[in-house]
Amino acid sequence: MARSVWKGPFVDGYLLNKAEASRASGRNEVIKIWSRRSTILPQFVGLTFGVYNGQKFLPVQVTENMVGHKFGEFSPTRTFHGHGADKKSKRG
Amino acid sequence: MRADLILIGVVGRPHGVRGLVHVHSYADDAAALETYKGLLDEKGREWSLRWRGSDGVAELRDAQGTPLSDRTAAQALVNTRLYVPRDVLPEPEEEEFYHTDLIGMEAREGACSLGQVVMVHDYGGGASLELTGGVLVPFTRACVPEIDPKGRVVTIVRPVEVSGEEGRGVGAAKVAGPAA
Repeated sequence: MARSVWKGPFVDGYLLNKAEASRASGRNEVIKIWSRRSTILPQFVGLTFGVYNGQKFLPVQVTENMVGHKFGEFSPTRTFHGHGADKKSKRG
Repeated sequence: MRADLILIGVVGRPHGVRGLVHVHSYADDAAALETYKGLLDEKGREWSLRWRGSDGVAELRDAQGTPLSDRTAAQALVNTRLYVPRDVLPEPEEEEFYHTDLIGMEAREGACSLGQVVMVHDYGGGASLELTGGVLVPFTRACVPEIDPKGRVVTIVRPVEVSGEEGRGVGAAKVAGPAA
């Protein structure tokens, strides 16, 4: 069942403070977080979070398309690395 | 076997009695296997492939263009690995890199070596490089400013890691206004 709209998106409070501090610092930072349940908000766009998957903090670069999704969606806990013979990735 | 070969697929069980086989594609897009000329097996034999239908059934032809004659010939190829030379892969777009090229490159930060790139993670939140020892670096211009494919070296600028747990216990925040 979907979350009620009147509640607004859920996000752990400390993330907002951390994001604000990171943006203000202007440094090349990765904010390590355990909160996979938090919703990605528009104020996180452009920041990089290290989202814990139970083993590692996978870097997640937040873009506009990711707003509304949860952090956990971008840091899988079970990974099939596959063969990916001709897999390509773009440098962000 | 040549070092520049990339495993692109494996021949599976035969299909029918006319020499067709199932092929397990390891390519990002299975259709691309048709376009790669000069698929090689472990014995150095050259093959070309044409998909028949959409369920992974393919027709293999040898270097002379002769298809497999019957099921017995197809059976003989079961578990044959198909490779493609690195040069055959199409040139990636600007700022795009093949994982096979990145893996194994030496990672350097200034004059100091950080080991090698052991894996490239890309799960929709931007790519990241995993270095020897489990160090993860976002694959961005800020963190990986230079890539030298010929010298097999990537220059790394490790980002500052900030723990997001400080101040935890404040509790969950509900952002004012309805969800977008």
